[in-house]
Amino acid sequence: MSSVSIPKALSSQRIAKLNDLLLADSERLKAYNLIEESQLLRDSLLKLNTGSSRALDRHDLLNHVTSACGYAEILLEELDTHETNELTANLSELINAIRELSATPGAIANSNQSYKTETAKAIQGTILVVDDQTENRTVLKRLLSRVGHAVFTASSGESALEQLNSESIDIVLLDLSMPGMGGKTALSRIKADPQLRSIPVIVISGLQDMDSVVECITSGADDYLFKPFNSVLLRARIAAGLERKQWHDREVNYLHQLEQREKFIRATFGRYLTDEIVSDILEKPEGLRLGGDLKEVTILMADIRGFTQLCSQLPPEQVVSLLNGYLGAMTDIIMRHNGTIDEFLGDAILAVFGAPKDDPDHAQNALACSIEMQRTVATVNTQYRSQNLPQITTGVALNTGTVVAGNIGSDRRAKYGFVGTPMNVTSRIEDLCEANEILISETTQQALPNQDQLYDRGLHQLKGIDLPVRVFGVRWNR
Amino acid sequence: MQAKLLLVEDNELNRDMLTRRLLRKGFEVLNAEDGQQALAQMRQHQPDLVLMDLNLPVLNGWEACKLASDDPNIAHIPILALTAHALEQELEKALDAGCKDFATKPIDFPSLLEKIAGLIHS
Repeated sequence: MSSVSIPKALSSQRIAKLNDLLLADSERLKAYNLIEESQLLRDSLLKLNTGSSRALDRHDLLNHVTSACGYAEILLEELDTHETNELTANLSELINAIRELSATPGAIANSNQSYKTETAKAIQGTILVVDDQTENRTVLKRLLSRVGHAVFTASSGESALEQLNSESIDIVLLDLSMPGMGGKTALSRIKADPQLRSIPVIVISGLQDMDSVVECITSGADDYLFKPFNSVLLRARIAAGLERKQWHDREVNYLHQLEQREKFIRATFGRYLTDEIVSDILEKPEGLRLGGDLKEVTILMADIRGFTQLCSQLPPEQVVSLLNGYLGAMTDIIMRHNGTIDEFLGDAILAVFGAPKDDPDHAQNALACSIEMQRTVATVNTQYRSQNLPQITTGVALNTGTVVAGNIGSDRRAKYGFVGTPMNVTSRIEDLCEANEILISETTQQALPNQDQLYDRGLHQLKGIDLPVRVFGVRWNR
Repeated sequence: MQAKLLLVEDNELNRDMLTRRLLRKGFEVLNAEDGQQALAQMRQHQPDLVLMDLNLPVLNGWEACKLASDDPNIAHIPILALTAHALEQELEKALDAGCKDFATKPIDFPSLLEKIAGLIHS
């Protein structure tokens, strides 16, 4: 399907301009008995315009072109042609543009495709007819049901809003003058409601209410129709409204898919990183650059005492479910305290507080996290008991220091991670832990505002570290 | 005497538009939406002239023309094809099917009126 480039005179701005002129000149059009034709011209143009924004069947495009041109010519013929004004000038321009378009070789005139056996079916939808007069409702309902639309009716603004909230409505036909809540109020309620805003509203009024119509269009009505209805016009209006709604729905659907993808990314990365880092990455992809910062952080290491021995006594499935139960519970706690999980090494957890997002309370948060972790092991053990899994005990170590934080690795495989001596020191302190113990280094102790829970565990010469390190134990209540 | 025209067009807006224009020129206008309806209207109302879009659902214009020319009751009614097809072979196909003349879309209304007058008076 070759796409057809639409001449400037048929651009959406020009068509909008013509719409305005038609609306402004409605008194004269009314005098010449041309109101219906002018509205039908608007419809044809609307179709031509929505058609130009996507690949449209040549047959359809040609039909829109033909009807738009024909209605424009009727208007021009009937308006006093000696009197040139902005409207007639615009109409002539429009007609010329259409003729030019159809004369363009290869554009639309030489379509030689055979008629599709399945004629493009008119879009059908669910329509809410709001009118206080029973006859009007009945006539509209009958007219619209006959062409396959599902029709709901309401006799007041209040009941219209009720129906809109309970039924899935594609388009609203709204009478303006009704007792109780009138059309204008109902319209502003609909347009103020985020759930309902996108539903096209076609305002129905008597010709004498032109001012109200203009007011309604300004406050969000999508279209208007005058009483008494012309059935061709009514159907065309509804088809145009439904088409708009369909495009809108498609957009919403697309947006939803994007959100799903973002959720997926969040869920995938969220297993390893806190929400902040994921947001950071999603919002500024340059955050994924390799490189690093020096950061003062508190490092947490935890592991299950005697895990290697446990493993050798259990079948592999049990090892996995034991590990997953423990790591799952600990992950939640770490994230809740703004920690970033750097790595799981078997049963060992390595987490960092204070990076990538700065956190002045990293030591305090890490300590609170360690205590909650130790307390939660009891809960995990209760679960294990019911699953016939062995009981576990853990040790947690904290150390505070300056590390290099950043995306470390190669282009093919990189992760947000940390390097530096403080990491190794933490691991060595962890080795000192007894069952159920929390040990912290002197640097962490100094970063804590409150020392009440601490007891001195003395100086320790750690493997691979030159100077001896003072270590404190943390008292925690079960 | 007012001439009676049958307009066969499946596109509702186009049907409406042309009907309005022809009514304004004083014609009596009948409508049909497909080839089958067209044949039924021709048999029942004996219009003076048929304006027929060729791309029609149910029964297309070419076939309707052929069937009309095979039916002695309506074979005399001239048919003017309304067509998107400006290609020569397409036009020949329309004439072969029994159309007396054609007008391409978008319709040049003054020239269409001339053609209608010519066909009705011949």
